[in-house]
Amino acid sequence: MPRLARLFLFALMLSLAAAPGARAGEIKRVTVEGELIDTWCYVTEIMYARGSAHFQCAVWCAVGGIPVSIRADDGTLYVVLRVEDDSRNVSNPAMIRIQSHRVTVDGDLIERDGVKYLLVTQVADDQGIVDLTHVKYGIQPWGM
Amino acid sequence: MGDVRMRWLRSLALALALICVTAAAPAGAAQKWGIDGEMVAQFEATVVDLLCELRGDCPAACGGGSRQLGLVRDDGTLLLAVKSNTLFAGATMDLLPYCGQRVEVDGLIISHPAMVIYMLQRLRKPGATDWVRATAFAEDWKQRNGAEDAKRWFRRDDKANEVIRTFGKVGRPDIMPPPAD
Repeated sequence: MPRLARLFLFALMLSLAAAPGARAGEIKRVTVEGELIDTWCYVTEIMYARGSAHFQCAVWCAVGGIPVSIRADDGTLYVVLRVEDDSRNVSNPAMIRIQSHRVTVDGDLIERDGVKYLLVTQVADDQGIVDLTHVKYGIQPWGM
Repeated sequence: MGDVRMRWLRSLALALALICVTAAAPAGAAQKWGIDGEMVAQFEATVVDLLCELRGDCPAACGGGSRQLGLVRDDGTLLLAVKSNTLFAGATMDLLPYCGQRVEVDGLIISHPAMVIYMLQRLRKPGATDWVRATAFAEDWKQRNGAEDAKRWFRRDDKANEVIRTFGKVGRPDIMPPPAD
């Protein structure tokens, strides 16, 4: 391999190794404010997946075991893996009841392979559902 | 009135699309959904409990269905398995029998600016001939509820119905949404 190519490869590997969050990154303490959303409907955009319009569907999805995320105001998504001492993150009854709520949480953030995972240590505030999107979008996905 | 009619037509189109996609048997490779950023992806991986993989919090048998599971590919990449072939259902029950083991999966990788997710459509033990459709949630739901089928399970589920009865379809008991047209 030519020397220049070897140098380039080495520099590339070095930069990849130094890139934060590429693998199980360090744990960061964060405060996140945003809306609890259903990860599938929001990411795929197969329907309008925010606020009151999507509450019923978000409940179905959470009961069905689809991961719940918090969507921060800047559009960042945080997949919730634990809430305080409760590590049941599939169909967790407490999580199901607060779908579409606007919450403020403190937690530990772990980034890996393009996904932000959040381990909530404290729910600091729960404003309930404040984004009344059903007025414009009806009830998703089927209007009933 | 025009708005309501358009909303109804959009809802009908979506319903038909969902029914077509989920009713079609996966004779060949995974089915595309027409989602932005989707890519058919068939590969072998190891099934992991996400909290175990990320934090070393490792209950027996990946939590027995109470934990979100992921797929670690051979290059070490962790994929979040979000959805199965059952409407409104995740992939935990499908992947659970392979906890800590290798599995071959077929489905969609969906890349969104906010995150990358995986939709599982079918799976099999590496080297096996036959694929198994990713509908384990429906099978489990039928057993748990003593039901003959899991059609529209989400409308018949006690846990979901209790929440919707309590908070209403828009999650606010103080608000009555307009009737569907």
